[in-house]
Amino acid sequence: MTALAPLAGTSETPSAPQGGAGSDDGAGPGAGPGGGGRRRLTPYWLLLPAGLWLAVFFVAPLFYQASTSVQSGSLEEGFRVTWRFSNYSDALAAYGEHFLRSFGYAATATALCLAIGYPLAYMIAFRAGRWRNLVLVMVIAPFFTSFLIRTLAWKTILSDGGPVVGALSSLHVLDLTSRLGLTGDERLLATPLAVVCGLTYNFLPFMILPLYSSLERIDTSLHEAARDLYATPATTFRKVTFPLSLPGVVAGTLLTFIPASGDYINAQLLGSPNEQMVGNAIQKQFLNVLDYPTAAAMSFLLMALILIMVSAYMRKAGTEELV
Amino acid sequence: MTITLSGICKTFGDFTAVHPLDLTIPEGSFFALLGASGCGKTTTLRMLAGLEEPTGGTILLGDDDITHLPPHKRPVNTVFQNYALFPHLDIAENVAFGLRRRGVKSVRAQVAEMLDLVQLGGMARRKPRQLSGGQQQRVALARALINRPRVLLLDEPLGALDLKLRRQMQLELKRIQTEVGITFVHVTHDQEEAMTMADSVAVMYRGRVEQLGPPAELYENPRSTFVANFLGTSNLFEAEILSHLSALGPSAEAAGEGEEPVESGTSIVFEAPEGAETPADAGAAEAPEGASAEEAPGETRVQVAGADVTLRLPTSRCAVEGAESVEKGTKILVGVRPEKIALLHPDEADAVPATDNQLTGRIKDAGYLGVSWQYLVETPACSDLTVYEQNVERDTRLTAGADVVLHWRPAHTFALDATQDAAAGEEIL
Repeated sequence: MTALAPLAGTSETPSAPQGGAGSDDGAGPGAGPGGGGRRRLTPYWLLLPAGLWLAVFFVAPLFYQASTSVQSGSLEEGFRVTWRFSNYSDALAAYGEHFLRSFGYAATATALCLAIGYPLAYMIAFRAGRWRNLVLVMVIAPFFTSFLIRTLAWKTILSDGGPVVGALSSLHVLDLTSRLGLTGDERLLATPLAVVCGLTYNFLPFMILPLYSSLERIDTSLHEAARDLYATPATTFRKVTFPLSLPGVVAGTLLTFIPASGDYINAQLLGSPNEQMVGNAIQKQFLNVLDYPTAAAMSFLLMALILIMVSAYMRKAGTEELV
Repeated sequence: MTITLSGICKTFGDFTAVHPLDLTIPEGSFFALLGASGCGKTTTLRMLAGLEEPTGGTILLGDDDITHLPPHKRPVNTVFQNYALFPHLDIAENVAFGLRRRGVKSVRAQVAEMLDLVQLGGMARRKPRQLSGGQQQRVALARALINRPRVLLLDEPLGALDLKLRRQMQLELKRIQTEVGITFVHVTHDQEEAMTMADSVAVMYRGRVEQLGPPAELYENPRSTFVANFLGTSNLFEAEILSHLSALGPSAEAAGEGEEPVESGTSIVFEAPEGAETPADAGAAEAPEGASAEEAPGETRVQVAGADVTLRLPTSRCAVEGAESVEKGTKILVGVRPEKIALLHPDEADAVPATDNQLTGRIKDAGYLGVSWQYLVETPACSDLTVYEQNVERDTRLTAGADVVLHWRPAHTFALDATQDAAAGEEIL
């Protein structure tokens, strides 16, 4: 559970870039009993910088955005708070498809990250030996380049007439994927597959690192104990390793799914208008249409939906029960 | 099931953890592998469990070759050093783990019975971290025993427990072993633990078995300095063989077997190296001679030229290469256990039996240990001779600085090859 604690603070960041981060933990544990001198006040002094920071850059913008989301008017006439809650239902009606697509892509990318990241994290934790640190650095290495540049690089890799398209089409893989509706004819760029690939690539380290840290904590003598107690290697994994790595799985999926749901760069660069995610729609409303109330309402909707999904997921995963 | 290790060895890169090892562990015995950390005892156990692949040699369980069998196919179970309980499963599921893996459907009755055996009946639904160290240890034992393994391997199972609990669990383990009758192979670095519990002990040192036998045999008749120092304490001092005479009686051969180390058979006489003299020497040199002992049957007394101190022991207790034909002048190490030595005030030196080995010295230090007194005595043979005296009726004259006469029976003396390090095994727990 401790591994998940910081997540609560970052969970909304990507969905509401202008809103700030997460629930307010800055308020502290409530007012202590009076008196008690300087020592009793120390925790509050320590909380002060973070509290101030969050108050100015998170709580205030959040209220500002909340009020924006129930305004009406136009840029020329000015926006006024009219408690127009239909902004929400209108946004959901107009962009429901974007929401669904966002969650669909994010879920697919999360599943792919788990499928790719788990074996890698397992290898690093148990088999890498003296290469462990090197492999970990390689996992983190992409962060040395900006997110934008990496995604642009994918644009080149997946470009029409590029090596990947050429290889896949000569292997007739593209026929298959286009029949499944994942790609267009003879191209990868501007398809759902490209967007999901980009998301998977960009968020993979967020899956690998928590998985690694929870796998690495597993005492290898537990594996030996399981094998000693007649468990085959496969059963050992199923009954011991995987259950014990669940905190990492939960943390990794959250760290991947939440930012991926709010992402718009991948859809922007690797997709076409048909692959637009909710992030793109919010960006368009804010920066192109200049319909601030709708944009704010959509940001809040995204936040709320993610919160609902995450809390349902956490309840199901029952992480408190785990070590 | 009798376990037979033949030529089993293990190397990790350049490091040889276990040198080729032959060992037979009889069915139903409580067998201890004793040694300091890094001596290869745990590696040997892990090879038995299948957790380590031997570099060479074979392991037979009864008549079955299990050398290359993976651990989950071996009819052996292990109690791990840190217990290795599954933290995500409750106690009942931990105990049931092995049965479930073998497809046993109804495990409840067996689990309950096993938890009762280890006195954890009410704990079935707790998680391992909610239990104390001693309780966790018992869960680990139950988890292994429930599978009715043909051999139970215990890897320092009591190492993490405090002293009192460890004593209690030693008795408990011994009781359970007697009850279930399974062969126990127990790895430990605690010599007391090995001696209390095991029927046979193999003392390991630097990847080899130094000596193998019942605890009393190892303690009374150590064959190397490591065993002499690691099991209990020994006073070891250098000496030179002065004379070596054949036995008069027909019992010479029997004595060589080491069965009954009595005074019959060949006697070898030693002297402490010259230069180790102290003012107290003069008296010591005289004592054995002046005592004019009667000769014991089958024993020859030999006069030693120029001896300052003369000691005697049966040949059977002489662990020197070719002990039967050692020459005069061969260097050896003489040993005697501290509790075998009796201390007397010089005024009562007449009470020393004539056949006893005798030394004089001066008490450097007297320490009170409750059940006993521990004396450190400076003698011509050894400047720090340790003596334990039962705390019954202490001669109040025996304080630091007092002159004393020390004596012990030749049968309690042993001799070891002088080519070994006299301090081997001393510095280790």
